[in-house]
Amino acid sequence: MIALLVGVALALAWVAAAARRRTAAAHRRLEVAARELEALQHAFARFAPAQVVEDIIAGGMATRSESKEVTVLFADLQGFTALTERLEPARLVAVLNGYFEAMSRAIAAHRGHLAKFLGDGLLALFGALEHDPWQAHDAVRAALAMRRALADYNETLARDGVPPLVLGIGIHRGAVVAGVIGTAELVEYGVVGRAVNLASRVEGLTRVHGVDILVTQAVGSALDGRFRLRALPAVEVKGLPEPLVTYAVEGCDEG
Amino acid sequence: MAEDLVSTMPWSECLVPPGAPTPELVAVVRRAHHGVVPGWTARFAPLPWLVRAMSDMTSDPFASLPLRDASLITLVVSRDNSCRFCYGTQRALMRILGFDLDAIDRLERDELVDPDPSAQLALDFARRVSRGSPRPGVAQLAALERSGRSRETVAELVFAAASAVFTNRVSTLVALPPEPIEGSGYQLAGRLLRPLITRMFKPRPKAPEAPPAPNEGLGAPVVAALGTSPAAGVLRRTIDAALASPVLPRRTKLLMLAVIARALECARCEQDAASELHATGMAAGDIDQALDHLSSPALDAREVQLVPFARETVRCNPPEIQARIRTLASGLGLGIDEVLEVVGVTAAGNALCRASIILAQC
Repeated sequence: MIALLVGVALALAWVAAAARRRTAAAHRRLEVAARELEALQHAFARFAPAQVVEDIIAGGMATRSESKEVTVLFADLQGFTALTERLEPARLVAVLNGYFEAMSRAIAAHRGHLAKFLGDGLLALFGALEHDPWQAHDAVRAALAMRRALADYNETLARDGVPPLVLGIGIHRGAVVAGVIGTAELVEYGVVGRAVNLASRVEGLTRVHGVDILVTQAVGSALDGRFRLRALPAVEVKGLPEPLVTYAVEGCDEG
Repeated sequence: MAEDLVSTMPWSECLVPPGAPTPELVAVVRRAHHGVVPGWTARFAPLPWLVRAMSDMTSDPFASLPLRDASLITLVVSRDNSCRFCYGTQRALMRILGFDLDAIDRLERDELVDPDPSAQLALDFARRVSRGSPRPGVAQLAALERSGRSRETVAELVFAAASAVFTNRVSTLVALPPEPIEGSGYQLAGRLLRPLITRMFKPRPKAPEAPPAPNEGLGAPVVAALGTSPAAGVLRRTIDAALASPVLPRRTKLLMLAVIARALECARCEQDAASELHATGMAAGDIDQALDHLSSPALDAREVQLVPFARETVRCNPPEIQARIRTLASGLGLGIDEVLEVVGVTAAGNALCRASIILAQC
C-alpha cells in the first residue's frame, strides 16, 4: 500500500515537473516572440510614425490620417535611361542599389524619412514622422550630403568604368495629408497634396537651370545666412498661376 | 527572460569617473534612499545639484499616485528609451520588492491581461509622454480621469513619466554603469534576504506638501499644476538649481532649454525661457534667430555646439548620443562638471517640457 502511494506520488511529481518544464519553455518562446515584435516595432518606426505602427499592430490596419506641414525632397537621376541600355541588368541593378544605399544614409543622417523609391528616383520627407521645427534645414543639409555622397560614389563607379551619375534634387515645404494609403494587401505610409507635386516639378527644373539642388521660396525663407543660395529666373510651371521662383543651393558654411 | 534583454541593450563606457562626494551630499542621498548610496552619487559628485536632482527624482515624490503605477511607469519608459541603467536597476528593484515579474512582462508586452485595464491605459499614456511625438493632449488626459483617477493622480502620473525621462537622459548621456543591485535580486542571498530588504525599501506614499514658494520663472505653471504633490517641490528645486549653478553661463542653459521646448512643442516653456534669455541681455532678434536656425552670430563658441546638441537629446538612441556627447565634450574641452551640467540641464529640459502637458488639464 505504501509502495503504491509512493509510486503515485512520484508519478504525480514527474507529471508536475514535466508540466512546469513545458510552461517554462512556452514562456521562453513567448518572450522571444515578444522581443522580436518589439524589435519589428522599432524597425517600422523608421517607416511610419510610432503611433501609426502601434495602430497597425493593435488592429491590423491604421486609419489615422492628418494634415501636417512637411518638407518634401524629390531626387532623380538624370540620363539614367541611357545608362540602362549600356549596362548588363545585374550590373545596372548593383549600380542603382549602391546609389540608393548612399542616398538613404545621407537622408537618415539628417532626420529624413525615405518614403518611396520611384524607378531611379526617390521621395524623402522631413517632419512627417516626428514634429521637426528645423525640417527645412534638415532637408537642405540632407541634399548637400547627398551631393557629397554621390561624388564619392561616382569615384567608385569611375574605377569600374561606369560613367558618373548625375543627380537632380527639388525641395519644397508645404501642407500635405499624411496617412497609411493602399489596400489591405499593399499599404504604405505616404503623403499626398500639392506640396508633393510641386517638389516633383522643382526637381524637374534642375534640368532647365542646369543645377543639382533647387529649393522653393518656402524653403529658402526658412534658412539662415549660412546657406548659400542663388536666386534663379522665375519659370512657368504646370498647375501654377504664377511663374515659380527657385533658388540653387550652392553650399552651407557650418559654424 | 527580460533580464537577458538588459544585457543586450547597447551601452558605452561611463563618460565620467567616480569622484568624492561631500559627507553632506552623501547624507542627503542616504536619507532619500533608505540608507543606500547609489553609485551615481560619486559619479555626479563634481556637480552637487545633479546628485540632489537624481536623488529627488528617484525618491517617488508622490502623494496620490499608487507606487505600483509609479514603478511600472519608470520600467516601461526606461525600456522604451532603451536606458540600460534605469531599466536594469528598476527591474531588479521591483523584483526585490516582490513584484510579480511575469505579470510585469505581460504588461510590458501589451498583452492586456492585467485585471485592471486602466493600468494599461496609464502605461500607454506614459509612453506617449516620454515619446512626445505626438504630444498627448486634452483627450488623453480626460481618458485617464475617466478611468477613475483624480486630477492630482493624473498630474503625478505625468510627472512619473517625465521624471523617468529625466533619469533616463542623465543615465544614458553619461552611460552610467550597472549598480550592484541589478544582480542581487536574482541571487540566492538576495532572495533569502528579500523579506527583510522589502520591509526596508518598501516605498511609502508621501504626504502632500505646501506648494513651493516662491514659484517663479521657467516651469512655474507646470509646478503650480502639480499642486500639493511633493513632485512640485522636486521640479522647482531642480530647475532653480540647474539655472543657478555657476558652472555654465545661465544664458547657455536657457538657450538649450528653449531649443528643447521648441522641439517638444511646449510653447509656454519656450516663451518663459525666451523672456529669461531677454533678461540676461540677449536681444530678441538674436533669440529668435538662435531658435529658428539653431545658430546665430550672437552665440559664443560653446553655444554654437551646445544649442544644436540640446535638440539631439530630445529623441535619441543610446549608442549614438553617447558617442555624440563624448565628441562634443572633447571638442569643446569641457571639464567633468561642465559635461555633467550639460547632461543635467538637457535632462531637466526634457522632463519639464514633457511634464508641461498637464497644463492642458487646467
